[in-house]
Amino acid sequence: MTDKIKKKNHKVESDKITASTRSAFNKSYRAWFIKALLRALTVIVLVMLAVFFIIRLVPGDPAVMVLGEHADEAAVEALRQKLHLDMPAGQQFVLFIRNILTSFDTGISIKYGVSCRSLVLQYVPVTLSLILLSMLITVVLTVILAFGAAMHRDGILDHMIRIIPAFTEGMPVFWVGLLLILFFAVKLGWFPVGGVGSGGTAFWKSLVLPAVTIAFGQIPPLIRSLREQLIEVLDADFVVTLKAARIPKRQIFIRHVLRNSFVPTLMLMSVNLSYLIGGTLIVEKVFAVRGMGKLLFDAISNRDFPLVQAVALYCAIFVVIISLVTDMIAHRADPRMLE
Amino acid sequence: MNGKRIAVLMAAAGLMAALTACGGSAAKETDSSAKSTEASAAESESAAADGELTFTYLRDDSTTSFDLHQEITENNAFAIDKVFEPLVMFDADGNIYDYLAESHEISEDGTVYTFKLRDGLKFNDGTDVTSEDVKFSIERHLEIGGPLPIEADIKSIETPDDKTVVITLGTAYTPFISELANFSNGIIPKDLEGKSEEEFFKAPIGTGPFVVDEWDPSGDLSFVKNEYYWQDSAPTVDKLIYKVVDDDNQSINQLKTGEVDAVEDLSFAAAEEVANGDGTKVITQNSWNVDEVFFNTLDEHFADVHVRRALAMAIDREALNASQTHGFGVTANSVLPAAIRYHDFDAVKALEFNVDAAKEELKKSAFPDGFDTTISISSGSNIRLQEAQIIQAAGKSIGINIEIDQKEIAAFREAFKGFNFSIMINSATADYPDANSIFAFQVDPEGFSKCYWTSYVNDEAIELLHEGQTVADGDERQEVYTKLQQLLADEVPYIPLYYPENVVGVRDNVEGLEILPNGSAVFNKVTKN
Repeated sequence: MTDKIKKKNHKVESDKITASTRSAFNKSYRAWFIKALLRALTVIVLVMLAVFFIIRLVPGDPAVMVLGEHADEAAVEALRQKLHLDMPAGQQFVLFIRNILTSFDTGISIKYGVSCRSLVLQYVPVTLSLILLSMLITVVLTVILAFGAAMHRDGILDHMIRIIPAFTEGMPVFWVGLLLILFFAVKLGWFPVGGVGSGGTAFWKSLVLPAVTIAFGQIPPLIRSLREQLIEVLDADFVVTLKAARIPKRQIFIRHVLRNSFVPTLMLMSVNLSYLIGGTLIVEKVFAVRGMGKLLFDAISNRDFPLVQAVALYCAIFVVIISLVTDMIAHRADPRMLE
Repeated sequence: MNGKRIAVLMAAAGLMAALTACGGSAAKETDSSAKSTEASAAESESAAADGELTFTYLRDDSTTSFDLHQEITENNAFAIDKVFEPLVMFDADGNIYDYLAESHEISEDGTVYTFKLRDGLKFNDGTDVTSEDVKFSIERHLEIGGPLPIEADIKSIETPDDKTVVITLGTAYTPFISELANFSNGIIPKDLEGKSEEEFFKAPIGTGPFVVDEWDPSGDLSFVKNEYYWQDSAPTVDKLIYKVVDDDNQSINQLKTGEVDAVEDLSFAAAEEVANGDGTKVITQNSWNVDEVFFNTLDEHFADVHVRRALAMAIDREALNASQTHGFGVTANSVLPAAIRYHDFDAVKALEFNVDAAKEELKKSAFPDGFDTTISISSGSNIRLQEAQIIQAAGKSIGINIEIDQKEIAAFREAFKGFNFSIMINSATADYPDANSIFAFQVDPEGFSKCYWTSYVNDEAIELLHEGQTVADGDERQEVYTKLQQLLADEVPYIPLYYPENVVGVRDNVEGLEILPNGSAVFNKVTKN
């Protein structure tokens, strides 16, 4: 409030201050951005290195996984040669890097015999849509419930909103999924049991139950966080002052309270996104959704090295980009974070 | 202040736009990639209106290749056998009968095989099938070798006329006719009709009841009916869809809701649920499998025949079978699966369950006071774990302490293939319907598997194995194999536990679905009421 009065009284001076802060902000922002970009690249390179060597350290022979137990050594050896698995690891690594640099691919999938990049591109849309839908459900429910709880602080509604999700948070994802399938798909027949529907409506319809399952695990900590933030801001001096100044409640809420609670929740959501990508793995399996999770799961159990690398590469890039973008938004919204 | 707010809003809007764009394009892309299935679904709906029959069969793994000479695993074999067919075929009892061949003749000395092809045989593109195609098919298989190589010593393949093929062997090899019944000896057109291998096996041309329609090597596969098929009024199915789902609960629920018509290879617990379920039933068939306990005879304990016998006598296999297979398995008396010729429930006597006798037997061994050892299983199967626990308890009853070692399948395979185990439980499978397929794998120490990685060596058994390969089919061969089975039952390098059945779950309205003992389904006479 005092700020506001000053601003009104010394408008010219305040503009000068703003201009100089802005240029300082831009400078430190640029420095931050370059650092963040370098960090992101390092993460991707490290992920690739780790995945390449760890998957080869795990016992199990991809050729045996393709041919089964009955194929004799000659057949297995012939396949190993065809797949370049007979080369020393160093040479395979060079080949792998060359593949990435020349075609942004990690080679031919050992199990499926087609390019890994094409497989990833085939499966990514489903997973992205699933993530998007579950984020949408998560955000809408979180905002509504957290607001409800914060507005009725310590009332029955608040307690219910805080306690009930804690139960669902404790349930294993596959179990929640199974219950939803049994009730909404098998008993009521509202949604398909599993798989991905074809065509607009059928496609989104088939993703509803998996998305709800994911949201179930995401919502409780987000509600708690947003509720805390809201309450903290509601109790802040400036809000009390605003109230005293008879600024309409709705205006206080939307312009001041929500904005101040936005950044911490956004950060939490961004961190959750990485978990969310991990979480889709199980959910995709439970719902027989053919997405990145299913692809990675099969790739690992079949020791399909190039495919594991491809999924890891694209996932790492995706996660890094998302966290970079959320950081950028957060910094714009709250420049204090640069310090 | 204002400028900053606009920046924030724009950034947020940008993120949303980016996400929605992602989602939007994602949906669009999926639409186009799914268009095929959508089209097929729409087709099947409109098709249903025209009285055309679509059958959706749920499987747990996708078909990755149609190259019959390079493949061995079920995900590919049971798709390959819909497109390519062999000269002869096997039935549920392991008998061989003529298929693409109208007749076949084996010379007295077992070295000359003469096949006559059926009249009017055509490939699915309308081209006639000739003896030259047969010659080419077998020669390509011989050249490639592959995971299911022809073991017979083929000296020559002659084609005196369009319909006749004469195959001459260097030495008699009785299992040859069964080898020819395998999917890997299906008939393909000569020189692949001038196409490259890649091109040909993407849209394979064979004589089988179905033609590949749409195929995603990492997902679903659909076939349409072969208009030139040689069997009368077959197939009844116009469109066959292999839908891939690898989760048990999903499979059962999709069957319950009718999203699929049948589910391949149910687990025993699932089989019971489906058999008793509303609107669903099961079809069963004897299999070429036998679940066994294998002893590593390189391990000092299990090199001792008395130790092996003692443990075998300590296990109540009847109870194990009853508790694990839910009635979808039969207690085994021999390493030979019951669905293969020369298996005999009466003639071959397995060691009987008797704990006192087992203790006595252990006393005769070099380890009369018992010892510590490990049983290896692949993880992720409740049945395997329970079996291991039953065997663990059996060992304890005679003083053998058994620790259970669970490994993920790829690691499990690597371990036992490196002879790195003491006891393991695994499923042995015949690759073709002849006793030799099992025995060559489990008795021959020169074979690549070194007696299924047991390293067991028994000269008499080896002699009987070789005798069985050359003696002509009939009573004499029966005698050889009965002797061999009894020898193995007494020496127990492996304890046969049970013969699991192939169990396929189907909707109640499905009729005419036939299951072969290798687990492959025949859709030629399927109807839906």
